Amino acid sequence: MKRYFRLHRIFVVQYLKRLMEYKVDFLLGAIGLVIAQAIQILFIGIIFSQIPKLQGWSFEEILFIYGFSLIPKSVDHLFFDNLWMVGYRIIRKGEFDKYLTRPINSLYHVLVENFCVDAFGEMLTCILLLGYAIPRLSLPFHWYTIPLLLVVVVFATMIYTALKIMTSAISFWTKQSGHITHMLYMTNDFSKYPVSIYNKAVQAIITYVIPFAFTAYFPASYFLTDSDPLFCIGGTVIAGTVLMTIALFVWHRGVNAYESAGS
Amino acid sequence: MSRVKRFFRTYTPFTRSGMQELIAYRANFICFFLGEIISAFIMYFVWKAVFLSSDSDTFMGFTMEDMTVYLFIVFLTGYMTYSDGAFAVGEEIIDGSIAIRMIRPCSFEMCFLFKEIGNRIISIALIFVPMVLGVEVYRYAVTGEVRFNLMYFGFYIVSTVIAYMISFYFNVIYGFMAFFFKNLWGTSLIKETVVGFLSGGTIPLAFLPAGLATVLNFLPFASLAYTPVMIYMGMYSIGEIFGYMALQVFWLLVMMGLSKLVWHSAVKHLSIQGG
Repeated sequence: MKRYFRLHRIFVVQYLKRLMEYKVDFLLGAIGLVIAQAIQILFIGIIFSQIPKLQGWSFEEILFIYGFSLIPKSVDHLFFDNLWMVGYRIIRKGEFDKYLTRPINSLYHVLVENFCVDAFGEMLTCILLLGYAIPRLSLPFHWYTIPLLLVVVVFATMIYTALKIMTSAISFWTKQSGHITHMLYMTNDFSKYPVSIYNKAVQAIITYVIPFAFTAYFPASYFLTDSDPLFCIGGTVIAGTVLMTIALFVWHRGVNAYESAGS
Repeated sequence: MSRVKRFFRTYTPFTRSGMQELIAYRANFICFFLGEIISAFIMYFVWKAVFLSSDSDTFMGFTMEDMTVYLFIVFLTGYMTYSDGAFAVGEEIIDGSIAIRMIRPCSFEMCFLFKEIGNRIISIALIFVPMVLGVEVYRYAVTGEVRFNLMYFGFYIVSTVIAYMISFYFNVIYGFMAFFFKNLWGTSLIKETVVGFLSGGTIPLAFLPAGLATVLNFLPFASLAYTPVMIYMGMYSIGEIFGYMALQVFWLLVMMGLSKLVWHSAVKHLSIQGG
């Protein structure tokens, strides 16, 4: 375990060296993400210029949920972005052989190899949104709010990462699965808004099938209203654990089924 | 006549290869499309909630039916006019394979264009026709009358074709620029979000402050998606339709001229090392 932490530090340092060489690239990626979020928020602003509440939620509450959704998303994006490459390129080009010849766990190696600083764009937006919304809302605060928040962030990030592991592992059989990852990943956008605005079918899917609702709306609504902690927080923990277990299983099976693509 | 014939004989094989490419990667194509259309559905639900929370039946002059048609048709138009064929130019300049392209007896942009047209033919069959049908069925179910207007639809098609051509040349220019920046992901994200916003992809331009909306209407971006969609919805009078289409043609000529300029200056400064 200690060895893995030490390795992680070496990988990050290595990556930061690379980054220093391409400062502009990093800035462009981060700026792109900030602009993308800013346009969405402008959209919410225009809506609220015409109506006082969206199905009972105020402007600040919507911003809080939106900002909250960016926490696990950006953490996953920052640390585990390399998984996209598995589905799009690494397997297809036969580059996965490299990971198998190293004396560390292949999944761990893939995860820590890259460090996607573009995600700081999302983090910045997230901080701005929460920084704007929180002082304007009277959120219930207990001694356990902060520890609970940390737990939620860990398990909500696991939901994101597990879905990416699972879908990229499909490429062990099909050689390419980036588009499947893309399709499932995009459903995370549903979690930026209160689940109650969707119809029953969509609600069921984002709660029980692709449980992105547990990455943002459910925990955020608990922190807003203090109600139903068992479902909102417990659900996140369960969804994260179950998905991650399945993901690790699929990955393991996939590595065993892997045949190099040859060159 | 023979020149026209030769032109098509030269470039139609590219169209065929574009079609074959898409068919070969159909699963990717469909997954990608499904991932993209999710955003339109999210917007639909958000707007539905807005109309439910609002006392009036219209939002800045749009009914829920208008809004739904707008959302899906603007998504469809943006999807159909999206062009990234020429994007590879940047990569080819970096790795030097552009040299091969330059000694071929055909125009580089026409190769890309005809290949993408092949792509589009499949997209029309698989996506465009079903989506337009879906929107019209929805409209019929909601209003109880057939709102489909063949004349507006005809103008919409013409306008969308021009929009596609603008988008194509715009992306040729962008393809040349992109190779200066190494983070293609970052610059593409910036380009796509900004263009998406300025062309009305997120919010109808009419919802923006009046001054800004007027300016944006005249920029080339509105020609990419907003103009065709407003024509489809019957929001413009015949006079306005011709006015906006003339503006589209103007921007198309500007983009074509600019892309020639960029191409020539790139060729002049191009030096390819080794092989």
